[in-house]
Amino acid sequence: MISRRRLLSLAGASALLAACGSNTGRGGNGQALKQWYHAYGEPGVQQAVERYAKAYSKTPVDVQWNPGDYDSKLATSLLSDGGPDVFESTLQISSVRAGQVVPLDDVFGAARSDFAESILATHTVDGKVYGVPQAVDMQMLFYRKSMFAAAGVQQPSTVDELVDASKRLTRNGVKGLFAGNDGGGAVLGGPALWSAGLDYVRDHQVGFDDPVAAQAIGKLRELYTSGSLLLGAVKDWAEPDAFTQGLVAMQWTGLWTVPAIQKALGDDFGVLPFPKLTSTGRPSVPVGAYGAMVNARSKRVDEAKEFVRWLWIEKTDYQEDFNLSYGFHIPPRKSIAEKASKLASGAAADAVKFVRDNAKASNPPDWTSVMRTAFNDAVSRVVRDGAPADQELKGAAGTVRDELKRLYG
Amino acid sequence: MKWLRYLALSITAVLFLLPFYLLLRNGLATEQEIASPTWTFWPSEIHWENFTELFGNPAVPMVRSMTNSLVIAVSQTFGQLLLCGLAGYGLARIPYRYANVVLYLVIATLMIPAAVTFVPTFVVVSTLGWLSDLRGLVVPGLFSGFTTFLFRQYFRNFPRELEEAARIDGLGHWGTYWRVVVPNSKGFFAALGVIAFVTSWNQFLWPLVIAQDQDSWTVQVALSTFLTAQSIDVVQLFFAAAVSITPLVVVFVALQRFLVRSVVETGIKD
Amino acid sequence: MRHGRAFWLFVGPFAIGLLVFVYVPIGWSLLLSFFDARNTVTPSEFVGLRNYADMLTDGPFLRSLGTFSVFAAFIVPLTFVLALALALLLSQISFMQTFFRSVFFLPTACSYVVASLVWKLSIFNGTRSGLANTVLGWFGADPVAWTVSTSPPWYWLVLVTLRLWLQLGFYLILFLAGLQRIPHVLYEAAALDGARSWQTFRFVTLPQLRTTSIAVLLLLLIGAYQAFDEFYNVLGTDHGYPPFARPPLIYLYYTALGSGGQDFGHGTAGAVILTLVIAGATLLQGRVITR
Repeated sequence: MISRRRLLSLAGASALLAACGSNTGRGGNGQALKQWYHAYGEPGVQQAVERYAKAYSKTPVDVQWNPGDYDSKLATSLLSDGGPDVFESTLQISSVRAGQVVPLDDVFGAARSDFAESILATHTVDGKVYGVPQAVDMQMLFYRKSMFAAAGVQQPSTVDELVDASKRLTRNGVKGLFAGNDGGGAVLGGPALWSAGLDYVRDHQVGFDDPVAAQAIGKLRELYTSGSLLLGAVKDWAEPDAFTQGLVAMQWTGLWTVPAIQKALGDDFGVLPFPKLTSTGRPSVPVGAYGAMVNARSKRVDEAKEFVRWLWIEKTDYQEDFNLSYGFHIPPRKSIAEKASKLASGAAADAVKFVRDNAKASNPPDWTSVMRTAFNDAVSRVVRDGAPADQELKGAAGTVRDELKRLYG
Repeated sequence: MKWLRYLALSITAVLFLLPFYLLLRNGLATEQEIASPTWTFWPSEIHWENFTELFGNPAVPMVRSMTNSLVIAVSQTFGQLLLCGLAGYGLARIPYRYANVVLYLVIATLMIPAAVTFVPTFVVVSTLGWLSDLRGLVVPGLFSGFTTFLFRQYFRNFPRELEEAARIDGLGHWGTYWRVVVPNSKGFFAALGVIAFVTSWNQFLWPLVIAQDQDSWTVQVALSTFLTAQSIDVVQLFFAAAVSITPLVVVFVALQRFLVRSVVETGIKD
Repeated sequence: MRHGRAFWLFVGPFAIGLLVFVYVPIGWSLLLSFFDARNTVTPSEFVGLRNYADMLTDGPFLRSLGTFSVFAAFIVPLTFVLALALALLLSQISFMQTFFRSVFFLPTACSYVVASLVWKLSIFNGTRSGLANTVLGWFGADPVAWTVSTSPPWYWLVLVTLRLWLQLGFYLILFLAGLQRIPHVLYEAAALDGARSWQTFRFVTLPQLRTTSIAVLLLLLIGAYQAFDEFYNVLGTDHGYPPFARPPLIYLYYTALGSGGQDFGHGTAGAVILTLVIAGATLLQGRVITR
């Protein structure tokens, strides 16, 4: 009631503002489509995506490279008319509910079945697909074969064996495991749940409202207090430096570090999924993929969709180049992943196998920021502060339940 | 007693200079030296090529972004001095029924964190079509309640005799301000100018969101490219940080006597 | 009437800008706080005071307000005392005074981003290559993970020293200015009365610095509650911010701009509450000082 009128006057005010600002001709016809990427760390990616965009003949495309806090910047820009037409992101249910992104089901065509189902699921809400996966990233456990041999440690296949291995590998100034400067609170929370057969959210219900969850997170606390974790390194878990510099025998990091590790250590390393804890649990690797999306506020949705179709569906050679020529990602299309020679052997081949057998979405669309904050806070307090796990997780489960109720009724 | 004072001051001074030393040491070393468990006081070999590497790095347009920062900081500094100076004088010296209302509205803005109104401000700016545009980076920062408030405090203590002399010469408020008040307040303008320049040069969140094209990046945004998730080049990061503060350090050393003198003159007295 | 025209001639341009770029956003934020505004700044679902009720029962938000009241109670007096002490020391020497003043003032030229970089990656990094751990190593102590450890919470040492380094110089200058304004005759009179140096400080210097002190305390207090930059850069990760030493503004920032849902209704409601807390603390502080 009050809202409508207030809003109208607000809209009037902004129209006035727009009239005041002399228009420099941004927007309008004949202009380039705006495409956004976050700043990839690997050299060459920026040049590559610019090259792709230039090769598109139907419409000019301006590529914009965004360093820094990409998520916040994107979120802010999508609220106004100044945002990009096409951008890469992970899918969030909130964007779908707010009508910020456009369904892209018709863009896929026959190629749909060629995309890995588990990856496509991370871009699907209520049966519609909103993002075309560009590159699959995953995290796993890297270990030094020589250090394992020297300490007489076997590859851990359960969480208890992992804790034990980490302790025994801590010797001669080398720590057992590096899982982030916060002791694994941020990246191992999900794997810990999966190791016990639990999950973030399952069928619109809280997935970790179970006494076993406390036990699983308790294992992370055990690791943290064992003195075998490296903490406070210069570079965080996403970079391989602690591992390649020999500061640790194991590190939790991503597939993207494989080239750097290969260069530094040759064959002296192997990879594993996060092991299982209980008999109902399973080993796991967190998997995620940035997808190309179309801004619903774009004035040229159809042109934007056509560009996305051309770039990420039609031009399979670009997908191959994008995934394999710079850093190290798995192409989301099975037909490309299968014929990639770079992925046929060694750690990369293991990674492909883990993604096939043990993939869990690292950031599912309905795991909202409120839920994530509540869960990560609880894990942090248990792991780093020794707070009682059952209470903390119960609190987080309550928050998640409220949020799910809001989303699904 | 005296040597004790000097000792205390010297120790503090060393602590205060330590971070500058670290910036230089880390920026001119190699990554191995920085990560080494044994401390090296100074890089065994100065790696000046870090300089050419940084400025030659196509992914981080250092020259362009420093130029942008300079243009933005200079226009924001002069714009603030002009607008806030006038407003401060009006609030301090021109009797007007609603002057106090305006003053309270200015003071109230000091308590509201910018991060709070950040998103609506962004929407206003984007509605004006000022994204990736110099105007979007400069204009919203011109209306500083803090600067206006300081000006107002200062002008309240400006000697009335000088103004009255000008008044007798037939000058109105406008003439008095430009011919008498401003020329006699150069030091204070310089002081607030330095503060405005520093604030502008160092701001981060706003240019990060507004400066969307690489061509409109500021130096702080360029710095943050080194911090992106997948590969931090620690040496270049430190070197770039050192480069980014150099202009300010120069300005400070050159202008700080103005600063101190004029803070003495201001009204952080009521 | 003539005054009115002159007033607006001087104040008008600034006032228009303030209106468009400060008050329109403030009003807009206020409006949002009464709406269910998820992923939109033009919401349609009016919810009255619900966002406020939610925030006032929101554990993490209240905890962060509590933490930062403690932080303010700690950093405000600490900065105040150190800045005043340094200013007194400086005012009592003549040789090299300008040099020392320049050195103490220089950090003001640094951004929080640059300072955070030095503190996080060089002074207080958790491996043996960090400066603090190198010094510990000289005494045979094990390296400490400064920004990680929660018991004892060493991250406070990192954050407090950083803030002190960056802001001491500015307040030092304010005090120095205040000291230079004190008429010399007062000190001479005190010396004639045979006052000891402590008595002179207590009964001459401190009362004469009253207005400077009030200004310094006010700025420090507002600054403490609005802490953001160094916390974000030192403790923040790409996976969000840990539940320790979390400033209210960072919590609100993630609420309003976090990936996975921008909730402007709750974010702005929290911001209004924070602003009221700052105003309240300011008034309270003013009350205590004027007593």
